[in-house]
Order: sequence, then C-alpha cells, then structure tokens
Amino acid sequence: MASTARAVRPAGTTRPINWGRITGKVLAWVALLLLVAITLYPILIMVTTSFKSNSEALSNTTLFPSVWHFDNYPKMWVSINFGNYLKNSLIICGSTMVVATLLATFASYALARFNFPGRDTYGIAILATQLIPGIMFLLPLFNFFKWMRDNLGIPLLNTYLGMIVLYVAFFLPLSLWILRSFFAAIPPDLEEQAMVDGCNRFQAFYKIALPLARPGIAATAIYVFLTAWDELLFAWVMTTTDDVQTVPVGIRLYLGQVAGNKSNYELAMAAAVVVTIPLLILFFFVQKQMISGLTAGAVKS
Amino acid sequence: MATPRATTAVPQAFVQPRHGLWWRVRRNGFAYAMIAPAVLAMILVHLIPTAQAIYMSFLDLRVRTLKQFLGAPFIGLNNYTDVFKATSPLSFGLADAARNTFFYAIVVNIGTILVGLGAALLINREFRGRGIIRTLLLMPWILPTYIVGLVWGFMWRQDTGAINNILVALGLTDHQHAPFWLIGPNVFWAITIPTIWRGFPFTMILLLSGLQVIPGDLYEAAKIDGANALQSFRHITAPLLKPVLSIIVLWGVIGSVYAYNIVAVMFGNGAGYPGANGDLMQVLIQRQTFQGYAFGAGSAVSVMLMIAMLIFVAIWYAFFRQSLSTEPKNS
Repeated sequence: MASTARAVRPAGTTRPINWGRITGKVLAWVALLLLVAITLYPILIMVTTSFKSNSEALSNTTLFPSVWHFDNYPKMWVSINFGNYLKNSLIICGSTMVVATLLATFASYALARFNFPGRDTYGIAILATQLIPGIMFLLPLFNFFKWMRDNLGIPLLNTYLGMIVLYVAFFLPLSLWILRSFFAAIPPDLEEQAMVDGCNRFQAFYKIALPLARPGIAATAIYVFLTAWDELLFAWVMTTTDDVQTVPVGIRLYLGQVAGNKSNYELAMAAAVVVTIPLLILFFFVQKQMISGLTAGAVKS
Repeated sequence: MATPRATTAVPQAFVQPRHGLWWRVRRNGFAYAMIAPAVLAMILVHLIPTAQAIYMSFLDLRVRTLKQFLGAPFIGLNNYTDVFKATSPLSFGLADAARNTFFYAIVVNIGTILVGLGAALLINREFRGRGIIRTLLLMPWILPTYIVGLVWGFMWRQDTGAINNILVALGLTDHQHAPFWLIGPNVFWAITIPTIWRGFPFTMILLLSGLQVIPGDLYEAAKIDGANALQSFRHITAPLLKPVLSIIVLWGVIGSVYAYNIVAVMFGNGAGYPGANGDLMQVLIQRQTFQGYAFGAGSAVSVMLMIAMLIFVAIWYAFFRQSLSTEPKNS
C-alpha cells in the first residue's frame, strides 16, 4: 500500500505525516502482540514447568526454572507406565486414522460424484449424527459391549478392537464431510476421459481422482488423528484396565497416585510436552492443506 | 384440467427422461458399494445405539437390572418425570449443570467469535511476519483439549497459579486476597476462558477465509462515498460474513453444549465434581450415570439434552435461513 502511494506522488514532494494512521497501526500491532502473548503464555508455562523441580513447579515464583531438570522426562516415563499409554494411543488413533480415512474416501467420492437415490438423505444423516451427544451413544454401547462379552464371549470392552470400531464410526461423519468437498472440487472430465479410454468406474476413481485428492485425504487423515488423540469421554468410560487406556486417561495419575499423593505437575507437564510438541511440528508442515480442507468443509456445508 | 396445464407450462425439451426409482438404484450400484462400509459403520455405532438410548430411557435399567439390558422392566415416562421430582439419581445438581451449560454455550460462543473476529481483522492486512504470527495464533487449536484442561487447571490455582501471579504483579490484588478460581462462582470463568482460548483460532481461520473472498473494491467504493472504517465494517464486512458466521455458531454451540474434556480434566479427569458453578451436562450425565449404573435415568437426561439441541438447531435455521440460501447450493 505504501509503495503504490509513493508511485502516485509527484517527485520531490514528501508525504505529510498522518498521525491518525500511525496511531492506528501502532494500536493494531500492540493488540496483535498482546494476543500472541496470551496465546503462547500457557504453552510456555507447560514447557518451562516440565523442566522445574517438584517444589519449584508448585511454588511457581518464576516462569523459568532456576535449575533445568531434564531428568523430569525419564522420570515421567517410569513413574507411571507412560510408554504403555502412549503405545495404546498410537495404536488406537493410528488404526482409526487409517480405517476411517479409507472408508470416508470411498463414501465421500460416491457422495461427490453420483446423484444416487438416497444421497441427500444420507448427507443429512451425516450431519444429524453431530447433534447426538456422545454420552447418548455411550450408555447403550457400554451395555452392548458388556452384553457381547457376557453372552457371546466377544471381547470389545477393554480391547483395541472395541475402541477402534467406536472411534472409526464416531469420527467417520466429519471426515466424510471434509473429504466430500475435496472430491467435489475435482472436475469429473478427467475420469470420463479415462473411462472412454477403457478404465472401469473403479479404475477411474483409483487412478485419476484418488491421486488428485491426495492433499485432501492427507488433511482428513491428520484431522481424524488429532480428534482421536484428544478423545477422553469414550476412552474414560469404555476402558477399565491400562491395557488399552490412552494418554488422556493415564495423564491424571501424575496429579494423584505418583510418589505418595503429591501433585507432580512437572511430570504431567513433561508428558503434555511429549504428546503435544510432535503435533505442533506436524502442524507446521501441513497447516495449509488442513486449513483449506476444514474451511472448505465448514463454509460449503 | 390440471394435467394439460402442467404439460404446456414446461417446454418438452426440458422434461428429463423419466426413469423409475428402481432403474436409478440399479444404475448406481457402484456408488452404493462405495458408501456401504461407511453406512454400515454408522448404522452400528450411530443409528442403533441412538435408538437403543431412546428405548432405554423408558426402562428401569439400573444396577439391579443391568444384566437384562434391553429386557429391563418398561416404566414409561417415569425416568423423565423423576428428574423433575428430584427422585432420580441424575437429579442432584442437574439444574446447576443445565444453567451452567446454557451460559457456558452463550459466553464461549460470543467470546470466541469476538476474539476470533478481532484476530482475523488484525491478520487480514499485509505486513511482514504475517504468516508466522498466524501460525503462532493457531497453536492452541492443535493442543489437545485435555492438555488445555491440565495446563489451565495448573494456572488457575489460588496460591501460586500463573493467573493470580499476573494479577498480583499488576497490583490488582495480593496473594492473601487473590481470588479462588477452582472453587466457588469463579469456576465458571475457569472453564469458559480456556475454552475460548482453545476455540478462537479456528474461528479466526474461518472468518479469515470469509474476509478474503470479499472484493477489495467494495471498500474502495465505500471510502469514496465517505464511509468510515466502522461504517464499512457494519455495511460490508458484517453482512458478507454472515454465512460463515452461521456455520461458526452452529458448530460452536454444538461443541460447547456437548463439551466434556476441559472441565473433566480440570476436576479429577471425570472422577471429580466440578462444583455447582462448573458442572456441565455431559460431565454430569457421565458421572452420575456410571456412579450408580443408572442407565435408564441417564438415557432420559441424554434424550432431553438432544431435544434441547434440536430446538436450538430449529431456531438457528429460522434465524440464518436467508443467509444460507444466498449461498450456491451444492448439496
């Protein structure tokens, strides 16, 4: 904006100082930096507390630790069975991501390409699932899983299988909705051409549409993973043994049961850093695709 | 009389060849095969459990009858009426949780939209470092909500928490008289503020995408006509953001009425009681249903919660219908 104004101005004249404009700019910067500070401060506290001693974490007089306790991280790993919770989270969320994205890819392609009878009803049903409170599925599903175990001997309670089945179905509607907008944005001409050239319907989908939708599929997969990674209600109710409990369920143990009922905030924060920082780094690389996918999905619905 | 009029009104060329439903179903075998797994998963984990939950809300399903599951004695609307007679296992604190959830949804959404809009307007200018600042502002959105509950719960502590430290440093209070955030009426703010902190980045991104499609010459024209910044915001920006805003409100209200993680983690990870000013509906239903295995009563309250949500969606639709219909239809 400044450069265009300068170009219009006749040579030799200086631009009069517009104090109102400068004040506005300064105020905007102050507001922006204040917002950034408020945004980052809790994350900073999480990171710095993870390096404090227990007493310093509790007294919390300074932001940064006086002595950096890097040994909180190995301590955090052994004081509760953190590796086990992390493994469970990775297995459950990873499988959910793969299966849910796969199912959503097939279904959203059909929704975006074909005007089949029932399509609009199905589209509305996908959105309607979001109006049901999670606890409402949970009460019958908990009983159903129990009933399956007691009467048919099929173990779904406290198993990876049960959690993955739940999560896949639970996160399917939203991933479908996001992916649909990606497929709808791909022109169908290429697939039609491929079919003229002898591809069948599935080959046209597999060889033409799928590679073009890859950024959208990646964004959806990451979204599913992040949502599953953050799930607490189902994980808390459906699991009673730490064989399958995930990090959100296990992390509370630092604040009660470790080391004689002390509040081990520094260990909890170290665990929080371990489950958060990889996500933040991942996000730096994929934010463009993820944002475009989610805004398209939300704005066009 | 009606038939000839209909045929003359529509030119013959525009009448599509009429095929039967069965013909169209058979032609779309590929599409049905593609959606079949997703439909099956949704029937198993959405449709059947929802129907079962509604049925369970009419059953005397509690610890004594738990083994019978759907065979438990049918008691009609008793689970519903007991809640209001305060004889249900879910009655304790229910009025508090309902009130909290109502105001939580209102405050969280207004706060999220105001902060998100402010951030979007501040970011929607050309300046050096814009990309990095946008990325930094998005960071809370990537943080899992249970981490948000953990970190903010740590920050709200009365004696040495970061919030009270800041208030003392600003000279607003001293450590003896600093407010309690996790006990008493302030709990409402202790759960609301972190939710806004976690939620504003995504609202900012959605509003930013809405702002960027507004053509710049609209503002130029308004400027030439003598409009100031506030007027052009009111008459150009606000109306054109309405479609995006309608979506933000819909998902925002659903998300906050069904909120669970932040409150649950801040108060004992689902095992504790957040108190009369911090309890939310899903937190209450989960806690009190599983405490005494009162599944019938819990289902009844869940159904009532869903009905409240359906009423909200009806109001939402009536309010935003016009701004939705101006969008290109792509269903």
